[in-house]
Amino acid sequence: MIHLSAFVAYVGALVPWAYLLFRGPRPNVVAVASGLTVVAVLLHAMATVDFWLTYDQLPLGGLAPALSSLALVGGVALVAVLPLREAGRIALGLLPLLVALEGGALLLGIEPSPMDLGFSGVGFVLHVALAFLGLQGLAVAFAAGLLYLIQHHELKMKRLGRLSRFIPPLATLEKVGRVGLTVGFASLSLALILGWAWTVQNLGSLQIDDPKVIWAVLSWAVFVAIFATRRGPGSSEYRSALAAVIGFAVVVGTYLALRLTAAGTGFFL
Amino acid sequence: MSLPLAVVGVSHETAPVEIREQVAYGVDEARSALLALRSELAADEAVLLSTCNRTEAYIFPATRERTRGVLLRLFRERIGGIDGDPAPYAFEKWGADAAGHLLSVTAGLDAMVTGEAEIQGQVRDALELARSVPATPSLAGPVLNRLFQTALAAGGQVRSETRIGEGTASVASVAVELAGKIFGSLHGKRILVLGAGMTGELILTALAREGVQSVAVANRTYDRAVHLARKHHGQAVPFERISNILATVDIVLSSTAAPHPVLTRAILTESFTEPRRRPLLVIDIAIPRDVDPAVGDEPGVFLYNVDDLRSIVEEHVQLREEAIPEARSVLAEHRRTFLAWHASREVVPVIRAMRERATRIKESELGRLFARLAGLAPEERALVEEFARRFQNKLLHAPTVRLKKGMAEGSGPELVEVVRFLYEMGDEAARSGGGSRPVPRGADGDAAGSLRDGSVQKQPDADGHGSAPAGTENLNRSAPR
Repeated sequence: MIHLSAFVAYVGALVPWAYLLFRGPRPNVVAVASGLTVVAVLLHAMATVDFWLTYDQLPLGGLAPALSSLALVGGVALVAVLPLREAGRIALGLLPLLVALEGGALLLGIEPSPMDLGFSGVGFVLHVALAFLGLQGLAVAFAAGLLYLIQHHELKMKRLGRLSRFIPPLATLEKVGRVGLTVGFASLSLALILGWAWTVQNLGSLQIDDPKVIWAVLSWAVFVAIFATRRGPGSSEYRSALAAVIGFAVVVGTYLALRLTAAGTGFFL
Repeated sequence: MSLPLAVVGVSHETAPVEIREQVAYGVDEARSALLALRSELAADEAVLLSTCNRTEAYIFPATRERTRGVLLRLFRERIGGIDGDPAPYAFEKWGADAAGHLLSVTAGLDAMVTGEAEIQGQVRDALELARSVPATPSLAGPVLNRLFQTALAAGGQVRSETRIGEGTASVASVAVELAGKIFGSLHGKRILVLGAGMTGELILTALAREGVQSVAVANRTYDRAVHLARKHHGQAVPFERISNILATVDIVLSSTAAPHPVLTRAILTESFTEPRRRPLLVIDIAIPRDVDPAVGDEPGVFLYNVDDLRSIVEEHVQLREEAIPEARSVLAEHRRTFLAWHASREVVPVIRAMRERATRIKESELGRLFARLAGLAPEERALVEEFARRFQNKLLHAPTVRLKKGMAEGSGPELVEVVRFLYEMGDEAARSGGGSRPVPRGADGDAAGSLRDGSVQKQPDADGHGSAPAGTENLNRSAPR
């Protein structure tokens, strides 16, 4: 029920953001849009805590709980960016994704995993927290990158209309994306190290054939690839934005593909 | 209820710039003019709004012929050359239309470029100027103060709730907006200026105002480049060396008179000896074009020529014009509120007289009562006095509220007459003062009248819209534009 409320709140938050896009900047509407976004994320967090307390496990096992958790990651990242004035408008890029993820989770049914997750200890908690932070960074870079590409396209097409005026300047989007990528990469790197340490300590090997390990390493490689696109001739900002969007799609797509083809082989996936 | 308010002036709609520039007032001149208006018109309140697009005097209370005459004479004294007669170029509005005019002007609906925002600051300055004039009572009295504050609030609401101010409406401001959309803050950004033409300088000035700092100027005539560079604290560079500078700048502004492109894609790519990470904005306002269109195909390079900029301006103007009906509806609401406020002020003397009369009766009757009940203890006397006070207030509360409401709804004059009749007031209300000055009848037969002898003759309003005929009159309907 709380998940449904969170979903409704996400959709509700999307409405004023879309209104701003079509009607131009209105300080009152920005406040309402930001407030609704925060409420939606709070409800989502409450739903996650409720799941944890009710089933005594984190919502990571099974597709629906994991999709919901991924949406929460993006929601928290969005709330972190909201106070940054114009940068807060990346909500328009991120909210539809959150609505899709949480909506998908609700359709599939957010149920606890029948398997014993058996995760515990400070190392594991840190691993999960840092991995979430890493994905948050990538989600922010994705939203900023998406808006960068739209703004870039509008400016190249010599249009300075409502869409262009609503989207933050290229420099702002580039900066937000860069910060998201840097923080995300550092966090995910640490999460991988801690995860491997935990796995070796508790399971005796690196478990490199585990789908979630494959997914985590691929996510890390995506970060590296995005950074690599900043090298070379031409506009590196544009390439970086494009890479962030493609990279995020690859991470999400790989997750779904692994989940569908390797179901039940791992706790997280 | 009557609103003896007038605005007389010249604007970009009625007068060419040669006239407007002659009747434009500086700050000190405006102060003197305001004092002259008070002494010659016996006006309680006056505000002079003088900008490059308009010079308008708002007078309250105003009488038709005399206000027009004095203002035209003031304008005439400033106009030399041409024919010296400002009448063909002037306009006048009266009553509610004058109030509506200020609201419209402040919201930018009457601006040369619809939705222009600068006028709000100019209206605020005009009010401040009237307040600063050493005159007692202040020239920015209660009515004009309220009107100007209403106009500023309405203007603000229109700007925030409609799209009237959306987008920019000049080539220079579009260039600034474009740069802002690419770079965010322009502080510290570097610009290379090719050519030293007038339009280019205008854009450069607009960009410099936003923080563009490092300026390099290249021009075929080196002296002209030096002159422009000095003016903007930059440096002149020989035209042959521009490829060395291209890699270091964020913006290129080109406006040379060259018959062929001076910046090609080959020159641009050759200049990037290292991978270019940040975007480059190229603004080409030259005819024929200075920049090869292929430059715009380079990744991260945003090329705009003069037609692109004009097309954006036209789109913005179109957007603003679409917002006019919505803006007018916001303004109409503010105008109604202002007129209702003014109407409620007219009833103040009547209410005051009614209460004074009631108080006199109460005190007289209490005196008689206490004479007959001499043995009352002080506490008992206080109780009786409290009873009488409360009785009086409660008895008068409903008529007071109904009177104010009736004034706001337009049935005030009849109600005032009824109250006068019922309370046997006669001219008592007028004598009691307070509120705004009653509306005198003018010598020309207008409901607005003369105040020349200082008399105050209350006149019922003929049309319910204003003492002076409503509407706008250009003093010469074939006035040139």
